[in-house]
Amino acid sequence: MTGYLYEKDLRQMKYTILTSTKHDETVRAIAERLGMSDAKLRMMLIRRFDMSLLENLESRWQMGQRHANDGDPVAEELGYELFTRFIPLVDTETMQTIYSDTTAMTQQMPFEEAIARGKARVREAIRP
Amino acid sequence: MKKTVDVSIPLGPMHPCWKEPVRLKCETAGERVLRAEVELGYMKKGIERIMQGRPWQEVMFLAERVCGICSVVHNMVFIEAMEKISDIAVPPRAAYLRVVANELDRIASHILANFSYCYTIEHETLAMYLLNTRETVLDNLERLTGSRINTAYMIPGGVRFDLLPGDAAAMLADLAKVEEEMRRHTRIFETGPLIALRSKGIGFMSREDAIRAHTVGPTARASGVEDCDLRLRHPTYRELGFTQVTRTEGDNFARVMVRFQEVFQSIDLIRKCIDTLPEGPIRGGGFCKAGETSYAGEAPRGELTYTIRTDDYGRVVDIAIRTPSVMNIEACAHAMIKDAASIADVTSTFISSDPCIACNER
Repeated sequence: MTGYLYEKDLRQMKYTILTSTKHDETVRAIAERLGMSDAKLRMMLIRRFDMSLLENLESRWQMGQRHANDGDPVAEELGYELFTRFIPLVDTETMQTIYSDTTAMTQQMPFEEAIARGKARVREAIRP
Repeated sequence: MKKTVDVSIPLGPMHPCWKEPVRLKCETAGERVLRAEVELGYMKKGIERIMQGRPWQEVMFLAERVCGICSVVHNMVFIEAMEKISDIAVPPRAAYLRVVANELDRIASHILANFSYCYTIEHETLAMYLLNTRETVLDNLERLTGSRINTAYMIPGGVRFDLLPGDAAAMLADLAKVEEEMRRHTRIFETGPLIALRSKGIGFMSREDAIRAHTVGPTARASGVEDCDLRLRHPTYRELGFTQVTRTEGDNFARVMVRFQEVFQSIDLIRKCIDTLPEGPIRGGGFCKAGETSYAGEAPRGELTYTIRTDDYGRVVDIAIRTPSVMNIEACAHAMIKDAASIADVTSTFISSDPCIACNER
């Protein structure tokens, strides 16, 4: 047996958490940072996070902005620490691969373009 | 569900060791817990929505009813937020009496949390000793405020009742008794071999994990997070020379010990307050005005934040409450319980973080 005998559909309750005043502001800020729509990000958060992590999203976002200091402009732009350890939307191995490839790309093309491509890959990694 | 999972074990929503309903879903490989998820929503009150549009006179009573264990601090933070919006000054005597009420509430809450932990690790004798001592603390809260749980003691610009000299003397005598009993209970906890086996090195959370999850209160202080006690910034506590209790072990034992140490600290603070209680009125004047503010205070479990917007008539237009358990429960599930060596430790680890579901489900 690997599943639970009784499971509730928590999507409505998770959505309610995400649409409260503070959480809605946070979701919009994260979506803007990632360059994706609020609705898509909400859907991903509901799918991936449990209720307690969604409740704590605002605090984690605040702490991420305060403490996620990667000390590297590429990692900073991609949100290396922010989206792996503070808000775990991307697993560490995938983010490491994206970061390495983007760092290599910055040698071959303008910085902004390399970052834009890197962010696009982060968005792909967040989507299933 | 991952293929690596042997069995998925649900704990709760009804569990003999938990004060309130919450469901923990643990995915296990053998005895090891791979990860845990928290399922909330069994006692959602919608109290923030009920508060909206009501005058502050009604909201101050509703604020207390967010949580029964730390009701005094909910009252205090709401009232201090209203005072901040309205520029209302508090007389020094009232400020000291607020500290007395708040610290009595903290002692009661910490003793209850440690009772729950001792009960969970099957040390029922110590658990009952602690609960017995808590009664004396609640009696003193009643002596000061007239009520044991929902006190409604603080009002904008002061407090409702003064502390009479006879009551102050009786309170000091009771506190001496509580301190003596708590020293004995702490010694039992510190030196118990059963407790050491079930607590030391269990449910470890590193300082980095605590900071990432914005863990607050004794849960953060047990993991070595400095400068996270908001009493350090509170003017009355600064006058009283408050210092933060911190430990570095980050396990269940440290979390319980921090609460024990804070009980003694609270007793000292109450003594200082009563010994240096300023003379004067217990109520100042003032009107609640329109405005918006975000105000945080230190509840027994950590940082409690009220974000309030009021109109010209003193009605609360919008309110958001961020309780400490929101951060602590999440940190507990995703840092302490994750990769736990045994499923038997999940319950005690969860209780060691002093989760308050009533606070979480406002």
